[in-house]
Amino acid sequence: MKDYGGIALTTPVSFGYARQSPHGAAWFIGSTLRLLLAESGLGADDIDGLAVSSFSLGADSAIALTQHFQLTPRWIEQMPYGGASGILALRRAARAIQAGDAEVIACVGGDGAAHRAFEATAANFSNFTIDASFPYGGGGPNAAFAMITQRYMDEFGARREDFGAIAVAQRYNANHFPAALLGHKSLSLEQYLAARPIASPLHLLDCVMPCAGGEGFLVMSEERARSLGLDWCRILAADELHNAHRDDDIQLRGGWTEYADRLWNRAGLGPGEIDMLQTYDDYPVISMLQMEDLGFCTKGDAPGWVRDTDLRFDGSGPQARKLPHNTSGGQLSVGQAGAAAGYLGVVESMRQLTGRAGANQVEQARHAMVSGFGMINYDRGLCSAAAILARSEG
Amino acid sequence: MSTTPTMRSRLKRNRPSLRKLARPPKQRTALGSAFNAANLPVALALQHCRDCGTVQYPPRELCRQCLGDALVWRSTRGSGHLVSSIELHHSLWEYFKRRLVEKPWPVASVRLDGGVIVFAHLAMATFGTAANPRLPVGTAVQVFTHTDCSLNAVMIAVAADTPVDSRDQRHAIAAGLGLLEPAIKPEGI
Repeated sequence: MKDYGGIALTTPVSFGYARQSPHGAAWFIGSTLRLLLAESGLGADDIDGLAVSSFSLGADSAIALTQHFQLTPRWIEQMPYGGASGILALRRAARAIQAGDAEVIACVGGDGAAHRAFEATAANFSNFTIDASFPYGGGGPNAAFAMITQRYMDEFGARREDFGAIAVAQRYNANHFPAALLGHKSLSLEQYLAARPIASPLHLLDCVMPCAGGEGFLVMSEERARSLGLDWCRILAADELHNAHRDDDIQLRGGWTEYADRLWNRAGLGPGEIDMLQTYDDYPVISMLQMEDLGFCTKGDAPGWVRDTDLRFDGSGPQARKLPHNTSGGQLSVGQAGAAAGYLGVVESMRQLTGRAGANQVEQARHAMVSGFGMINYDRGLCSAAAILARSEG
Repeated sequence: MSTTPTMRSRLKRNRPSLRKLARPPKQRTALGSAFNAANLPVALALQHCRDCGTVQYPPRELCRQCLGDALVWRSTRGSGHLVSSIELHHSLWEYFKRRLVEKPWPVASVRLDGGVIVFAHLAMATFGTAANPRLPVGTAVQVFTHTDCSLNAVMIAVAADTPVDSRDQRHAIAAGLGLLEPAIKPEGI
């Protein structure tokens, strides 16, 4: 695979997180785009590529948005890949820049959160969902993930406290990230354990809160970023695999297992050289699968590994091994803004690597691993994606 | 018949919590409706590929193995093994919300011997394990369908040795789960 040399990821922005909103997806996507233009100093006509991910565009698609926002792109993508959207967007956009198909690509994930919109999304998520999972009562993907969590606990002896370690550390990170919707509340392990059951073994604080919001970034050549005076980060390696391990009874591993080694080799790094890990945390067990499959620990060892690892952004926990994880609080504490949640880890890593994170800045952040997971079509998540990003040297 | 929504029908659609009667999800795809029809006369019918014999679920257009266009509905043995089981305490759907007030709602994921994974309402009473509600992974189960009160066929998982050959036996189990009656709010609209 050709490398991603010469590509700059710039201008990470997050916009408008809200529990409920009267505004539609176009409002969140367009407002994110407005921020991208303001931060980069570019005009709308400088954007010649557009990648969009959203669950709530209704009758519209990415192409309709070009008319809403008066854009004239010569490259366009709509990526309905949920939690893998951000990484898939940066991969596609980087290749388009390398090929000369576009010069500046805006990648945006955004969703609204109207009254009862989540119910509609959950009930109509896919044909398999309509016929074979929603009728069994689970609220959206809760039932499928409760099954996975239960089986993971049965197979590997994970306890609720182990999942809680992830949620509690992320809340600490969110307490230092103003945009996080739950960042104003602290969370102790006792509070985590006392939460009401949702789909046992899942309890309230294992489940993300659906919300509205937008996330975006720009992809361009390093020369262009330099001429615009923008900070950027580089893609050392990135990969994806979908519907992997399709004969497994239940999802205790994802597609990452099939390309993690290649990813590390291409980046010339090992897990010990990663300064922060951003996993897709729609439920803590899924973060554990990513930690295992990407090589931070072996299969089934994530419960012990998270016990012995300080996951806080500032390394203020008692454990000796430090690995800042989901440094903005992740979806569990920021909220899950539909497809924007698939951008959360990418955008947060870019902020960290360019030194723009603010109160939750990880010191000396050089390398970030970002992982994406998405689309519970029926009983498991189909998309897997991962990328290793680095701070630019020049 | 008028197609103008009445105040009553609007309220029912937009505020399900105000309804007198709440039923399980009604919506299915066209293939889901075919599943309903195929399951009316038998305990369990699934799509089979006439060319390669592969069993299919959830319902689909083409064979998942050979992509052949030769899927037919056939009566199928419902024997299988438990992959995972959970108890719902929360739902987005009003029918389940009302049922959940009384007690949690158990759901199972089952690998049928035919090879497919199915989600099913779990009839815990048939396992005789009231003291220990957690069924071990790999527990032998059998799965059949019954028409719920939204007139859709839904999967029900029971202990492997439960007699379910007769329609009356299956009806009694489905009734015991509360699937055959709407969840009633007496003061509702």
